[in-house]
Amino acid sequence: MNMSKVVFGFFVLLALTLNFGFFIGEIDNPDHHNVYELFAALVVGLIATVMKLGERSQMSAMLLASSLVVDLHLVAAALVWAIAVHVTDVGLTPAVMATIVSLSGGALLANLLSVVLLTLETAGFSR
Amino acid sequence: MGGTFLFVFFRRMRVPLVVLISAYAIATIGFTLMPGVDDEGNPWRLGLFEAFYVVSYTGSTIGFGEVPYAFSPAQRLWTMVSIYLTVIAWLFSIGTIISLLQDPAFRRSLQRARFRRAVGGIDQPFYLVCGYGDTGRLLTRALTDRRHPVVVIDHNADKIDALSVQDFRMPVAAFAMDARPPDNLLESGMRSRWCMGVMAVTGDDKANLKIAVATRLLNKRCAVHARADLAGVADNMRSFDTDDVVNPVTEYVHRMRLAIERPAAFRLYHWLQSGPHARIPDIRRPPRGPWILAGFGRLGKAMHAMLVEIGIEVTVIEEDETLAGLPSNFVNGRGTQAETLKEAGIDRAVGILATTRDDVDNLSILITARELNPELFTGVLENGLSSHAMVRAAEPDLVAQPSTVIAGTILSRIRSPLVQPFIERMLDCEEDDIDALLDRLSAHCRGSPPDFLTLRISERRAPALVGLINRGIAVPVSALVNDPIGRERALPIEVLLLRRDSGDLLRPHGDTELKIGDRVLMAGHPRAGRRLRAMLENENILGRALTGREIHQGWLWQRLTGTRDLG
Repeated sequence: MNMSKVVFGFFVLLALTLNFGFFIGEIDNPDHHNVYELFAALVVGLIATVMKLGERSQMSAMLLASSLVVDLHLVAAALVWAIAVHVTDVGLTPAVMATIVSLSGGALLANLLSVVLLTLETAGFSR
Repeated sequence: MGGTFLFVFFRRMRVPLVVLISAYAIATIGFTLMPGVDDEGNPWRLGLFEAFYVVSYTGSTIGFGEVPYAFSPAQRLWTMVSIYLTVIAWLFSIGTIISLLQDPAFRRSLQRARFRRAVGGIDQPFYLVCGYGDTGRLLTRALTDRRHPVVVIDHNADKIDALSVQDFRMPVAAFAMDARPPDNLLESGMRSRWCMGVMAVTGDDKANLKIAVATRLLNKRCAVHARADLAGVADNMRSFDTDDVVNPVTEYVHRMRLAIERPAAFRLYHWLQSGPHARIPDIRRPPRGPWILAGFGRLGKAMHAMLVEIGIEVTVIEEDETLAGLPSNFVNGRGTQAETLKEAGIDRAVGILATTRDDVDNLSILITARELNPELFTGVLENGLSSHAMVRAAEPDLVAQPSTVIAGTILSRIRSPLVQPFIERMLDCEEDDIDALLDRLSAHCRGSPPDFLTLRISERRAPALVGLINRGIAVPVSALVNDPIGRERALPIEVLLLRRDSGDLLRPHGDTELKIGDRVLMAGHPRAGRRLRAMLENENILGRALTGREIHQGWLWQRLTGTRDLG
């Protein structure tokens, strides 16, 4: 067992689960979506991106691309949230919340792809 | 894979970046958990946004103070924690970046990426020089002077460093790597469609052989010019169609034989095949009589065999009596001593060849021998260019300089495929004819070797000339050497060889008619070559060179002036 592979898999998977945890619930209800979970998803997503940097296979290029998509989505979601709450005083209206959650939904898809690719790669190795 | 250094960079930066992100995340979360009070005394906590704001300016050591409200003791405690945490994380990252930039492996991969970009960016015919010794240096200098970019690889980084501070007229991409692995050759652009030729001129026969094989197999269109010191390696290279194999020993023996048997042919051969700075050697009398050969190494042995073959009496001086193939009457000792030379019969010898492995010994032999017999013809082997000034000062009649000979031979062959056939045919000519040609050429170029030029009488290369031939106008060879401006004067250029399907014509007569498809080898001053090219493309200039009057182009002008052109 390769420890670095464990850590790598751990972060990729954790990014997906945190993202899913934030995403689940009514789309426009702020009570169903914890901002700390979004923060955690973003941080873990960033770490996962860094872990993927510097790998050279075709698969890891795809992994890195999907990770960058995740970061883009989550940073956008965090920005929407920060602007709505702190900059413009609009507050977490259902419309704003729906935007944030749908952005995180996009990130979820990319995260899912990451996990699928990673699984494929692992399966390919064992063959 | 242009961004290897990026991969190296990110792989090294992985840990510092993860540490940095984690430190920021911990500091941010911590701030939102610390209890505080706002300006009205109500309990209040920092939101994630404000917390990240505070961490951002604290971590980067900017420090705006406590916003939006003065911090509570708990928040100040956490501020201290986050300062140490984030500042240390930053120092770690920056330290890693700096150490990475100084890391030799990283710098090398950076240089390699730059080299690969430089090679990939070449969009004109270039040459790949493998091995940057004396030969490689001469080749690189001559090729860049001929306006070809050059790619140089050598396994010795010092040589490449020395190259990088030199000034060339064309871009030279150089990188220190072993030329033997084919991957390195590919990286150096061996498969590029612009790669005209690969020069395998390392000091190692095996490496040269490997380069030649790799090039033959991986890029058939690209010519290979290889140096081979051992006859076996040279034969091996020729067996798989290496375009050009130069064996310095064979080459010297060939030149020496010419010098003894046919001085004029030697002068021509040596002048044309010794690089851009060659001078016509001044050997007028063929030294016939007994010779002394000091040093029985590879060159000595080959020279001995040649001299014996043409019936010249040779006495060998050699220190090491165990050498195979030594003739029975050799003199044991060092050629540097007068007694040894006397024993070898220096007083009645006509020539001496110093071919030991040591340049200083060779010079010493030469000087001692000359003191004993001032009339001697002296030949000396120069092992490295570093003692060139000394050898020059000693003024031997013939200097055997491997690097110049190899580079010169390769350069004359890549100039044009017709040069070699020309020289071979010329060597069969009478001595007087060769001398006459030599005089003309050296008058054209004021002593330095002529510039070769190959003309192809074809629609693309010489449109004006082909146009005239198609209209039935006879164009004689002499038209090529007429100066288009003053017709009575000739350009400083000579027609050397005319190749057509029916066979080669050496020094064709001026009245010979040019035909479409002919190839003409000319030599002369570089300026004449440029004029000639202009003439072949412009009908007016060509017409003037042929007849001395203008040909009017265009139907309207012909009608107006009532003239018809040439016909």
